[in-house]
Amino acid sequence: MSNVYSMQDVMRLPAELLFQDELKALIAEDRGTIPTGWQMSPQAVLKFIVGGVAGKQKITPKYIGNTRIVEMAIATLVTDRALLLIGEPGTAKSWLSENLAAAIYGNSGLVVQGTAGTTEEQVRYSWNYAMLLAQGPTPEALVQSPIMRAMEAGGIARFEEISRCASEVQDALISILSEKTISVPELGKEAHARKGFSIIATANTRDRGVNEMSTALKRRFNMIVLPAPADLETEVEIVKKRVAEIASSYDLQAAVPADEALHKVVTIFRELRSGMTLDKKEKVKSPAGVISTAEAISLLTNSMALAASFGDGEMTDEDLAAGLQGAIVKDDDKDRLVWKEYLDHVMKKRGAGWRGLYNACKEINP
Amino acid sequence: MKGGRGAGVHIFGVRHLSPAGAFHVLDYLERVQPTAVLIEGPSDATSEIVHLTSSSTKPPVAILAFTEQLPVRTVLWPFADYSPEFQAMRWARKKGAACAFIDLPSASAICLQEARWERVRPDRSDDEGSHRETQESQGSGDEPLDLYQRIAEISGEVDYDAFWERNFEHNLSPDAYRQAILAYSRQMRELTEEQERTNETLAYAYNAVREAYMCRRIAETIAEGHKPDEIVVICGAYHASALFNLEGAMSDEELKRLPSRRTKLTLMPYSYLKLSSLTGYGAGNIAPFYFEMMWKQMIRGRLGDLPYHYLTSIAGDLRNVGTNRSTAEVIEGVRLAESLAALHDGCQPSLRDLRDAAKTLLGRGELSVIAESLARIEVGTAIGELAEGVSQTPIQEDMNRQLKRLKLDKYKTAVANDLVLDLRENRRVSSEEAAFLDLNRSLWFHRLKLLGIHFVKERSRAQGQAEWAEHWILQWSPEVEIEVVESTLLGETVDVAAGFVFQQRLESCETIEEASSLITVAYECGMIHQMEAGRQTLQKLAVESQDVVQIAAAAGRLARLIRFGGIRKIDTAPLTPLLRQMFMKACLFLNEASRCNDEVAQAMAASMNELNFVAAEHGDEVDEELWIQVLTELSDRDDAHARLSGFACAILLERGQMTAEQCSAEVSRRLSPGIPADLGAGWFEGLAMRNRYALISRMSLWEQLNEYIGKLEDEEFMRALVFLRRAFSTFSSKEKTMVAELLGELWGRDIEQVAEMLTDDLKEDEARMLDELNDFDFEDF
Repeated sequence: MSNVYSMQDVMRLPAELLFQDELKALIAEDRGTIPTGWQMSPQAVLKFIVGGVAGKQKITPKYIGNTRIVEMAIATLVTDRALLLIGEPGTAKSWLSENLAAAIYGNSGLVVQGTAGTTEEQVRYSWNYAMLLAQGPTPEALVQSPIMRAMEAGGIARFEEISRCASEVQDALISILSEKTISVPELGKEAHARKGFSIIATANTRDRGVNEMSTALKRRFNMIVLPAPADLETEVEIVKKRVAEIASSYDLQAAVPADEALHKVVTIFRELRSGMTLDKKEKVKSPAGVISTAEAISLLTNSMALAASFGDGEMTDEDLAAGLQGAIVKDDDKDRLVWKEYLDHVMKKRGAGWRGLYNACKEINP
Repeated sequence: MKGGRGAGVHIFGVRHLSPAGAFHVLDYLERVQPTAVLIEGPSDATSEIVHLTSSSTKPPVAILAFTEQLPVRTVLWPFADYSPEFQAMRWARKKGAACAFIDLPSASAICLQEARWERVRPDRSDDEGSHRETQESQGSGDEPLDLYQRIAEISGEVDYDAFWERNFEHNLSPDAYRQAILAYSRQMRELTEEQERTNETLAYAYNAVREAYMCRRIAETIAEGHKPDEIVVICGAYHASALFNLEGAMSDEELKRLPSRRTKLTLMPYSYLKLSSLTGYGAGNIAPFYFEMMWKQMIRGRLGDLPYHYLTSIAGDLRNVGTNRSTAEVIEGVRLAESLAALHDGCQPSLRDLRDAAKTLLGRGELSVIAESLARIEVGTAIGELAEGVSQTPIQEDMNRQLKRLKLDKYKTAVANDLVLDLRENRRVSSEEAAFLDLNRSLWFHRLKLLGIHFVKERSRAQGQAEWAEHWILQWSPEVEIEVVESTLLGETVDVAAGFVFQQRLESCETIEEASSLITVAYECGMIHQMEAGRQTLQKLAVESQDVVQIAAAAGRLARLIRFGGIRKIDTAPLTPLLRQMFMKACLFLNEASRCNDEVAQAMAASMNELNFVAAEHGDEVDEELWIQVLTELSDRDDAHARLSGFACAILLERGQMTAEQCSAEVSRRLSPGIPADLGAGWFEGLAMRNRYALISRMSLWEQLNEYIGKLEDEEFMRALVFLRRAFSTFSSKEKTMVAELLGELWGRDIEQVAEMLTDDLKEDEARMLDELNDFDFEDF
């Protein structure tokens, strides 16, 4: 938090800055018991995530549709257990984890991004080798991992996509989570976690079986599965809200898409995802790629960008069709067939309201 | 609202089946030390209290009231160990205080409820017939549902049950429950009463009548000499505020005008499973075993341990089924549940918090992992018990009598026992009763089966098993006891009840198939009169019907009954005229029905098989000549489905009704080049459906077939091939080889050459030809 961001030209602000007015208002009116190391009470954190009013400040909902899941996540962190959010791609795992960290600790930036190349050093600590060679092991030469920094500060560290890391890297977390210390034998010292330290990790269900987490590690997490939005209306609401937010932060010079367009996109996505039409009467083939809510959001912002840059700022069926094409047909020829089949078997029969979109899709997908 | 105003009687409003309610009621009774305890419940069941509180009674049990006459209506008042009413009854017995139910007698309650029911759901009034069961509606359960949803939402809970548990079940400080519930129900009542008075007049009137009656009973109790402040009334929360003032008590005049129907009351054992699926009186009791756990912790003074008990039980159950979960995870689960409760300012976790904690920790995020354990630990399998003879329905007595008579007493255990019956007469014993013991058992078992009493299960009959042997599995469970008690609504004995059920099914039966299967049921149950009734129904239906497939199936069934009727000592002679009639009818319509499509032809062939069986087995009873005549006609016809004509021909051939010359003429007629390939080959397919060996041995047939195939054009050949391939597909490989050898002989190959051809792998061009065949365009067919 030491860096001073210039709010205007940063591409993407972290949650604690993006919503800093809301956080301030919540802290100001907070009357609940504040757990050690937290900046506000659990009830206030809940309000920050699910929305409400604090004083005169409106709190925008950050996670829509399932308050109970948010409650369970917060309750987990109160008991200083580590939290593991599991879900399909695009179910707002990282978004929820960032906002939780921002609300509880005021800093969502202590992140380890899990990849196949993540090493144990990135989880524990590494060295500034120039200094190490010059001075030998000194505290100054020690480069702390985000997790170690969170431990010492009593804050929240985030571990993104934990199941992408190799198992031995994952298992480095076991001792951290059970003993809450990282020992640095080179310095003959141990870093002890202060109260308030916890880890929020996310894992992707699509990665299951690639680097299966060990049972020992699983036992140290409270696991919460984030579902895909339960119904059409919830998903439309989520998409609408995020599209508006992104549009304003990127200064897109296009009108926010009409409800009708949103409904269409979400309907198409839900049907392709579930492999069934919404009325459950017809089966639909699902494409190989992921058809998540996040994809719908980025599709709509893409279409808006198209409309703003090359059109008159009003999103047309052609813009939407181009976006759909890109989102659904990713790399596979099979996806193209799936999409064509969907167009002809489902969308074509939908009547006049869908005619324009159908024609536009058909044009780029003859 | 305390004792000072009104009549001065102590009123204690409760939610039925509420552990905290039970706890506070006991506490309150201890403090007040009343001489009379009055409880909301059917006043005519007061005499049952002594049985309810007997030491050999193990809840859950229920009071069941039912009307004596049809249509049967029932009302149910279930009690669990943690029912406030149940605990109050037990307290009164222990202390020697008077104890009585003070709500409308069941006779009136049933009438009034019925009136309400009819009005609320006129469209559903009859679809459940006499099995409809209403539950005494929960005091505060009468208001519109959305109000409850609203309350839950405002208090930030997922549903009303969670709200209730959080706000009423966890607080054990003295008098907290009573005061809170009084205030709460008064407000709820104020909110809804006005709306109810205008919009739901019947519900409003029903409550008013009940309250007036309860006031009257309270007044009577005072008149009997109990001091008002030594009377405690325990009622549904909703009624609590209405019972303080006894001015509205029902007058003698009004009492006389109460509608009433003759009813009977009995106690019956109940189960947690049933309790958890109740609406009305049992509403909110989705987790009886959990509530029992809560109650036990309460009386131990350790309610705070409930989360440990719940989560440990789940983990234990998971381990039993092989999913290992550590104690550390249980501990973390309790911590998570407690921190969830704290988010809602609760003093301890609710069921909902515990369940979510179990899902997160023990299920590792997945509900499916723990779903079964949840069902076992929340709902539980407890089933109540009553002392022998307390549950006094006539059918239970009959059941016991029959068990003795049929020497089945020892099977009345929870262990499943196998019993193989030999229905034949046992000639080594002297008395007739003993000689036919197994037969009588079988008849009785079939009746139980008809009644849906799961004491006996029949093992499916193996193919070729003797008709006189039956294999049953016997297992007694308290669920069976409940099923028996419930059958009391259908009749006083197993026989009468079975007859009633049969009658009902017969009346609703609409197809020949149902009717004929009902006759079989009656036969298996040994119910002669019902069999006759079934016969009449079938006869009526058969007159109207022209569906050969159904008639033939029914005729086949009847024929089997007649044939094996002796085994059950049942005179099946009355069925013979019907069989004759059905057979004739099927014959008359057979030709007409044979002009059908491929799909129906399949069923028709089966029907012909069935009819042929009847004709062969009962040649004396049915008109066999007619059958031959019909077959001949069908065999000759060119407009019937070719396969059926072929099949008719096959039957005639088999029965020796066709000479070799006739057959050969028919074959050449059918397989002449001018006939479309699908008809010719289809006919052959029908012919090949029966007596293959006879066909195979008939050399002339194969010569004709060979000749026919040789004459076909290429295109025609392809079409014919499809049908022939299908015809031969049902042949066994041995039969196929025999055919191939025959044809080989015709083509001048010897047996070895043919065998070589057959066992060789397909050559490439042969494989290609077969593939081409697969691509054959079937659209024309």
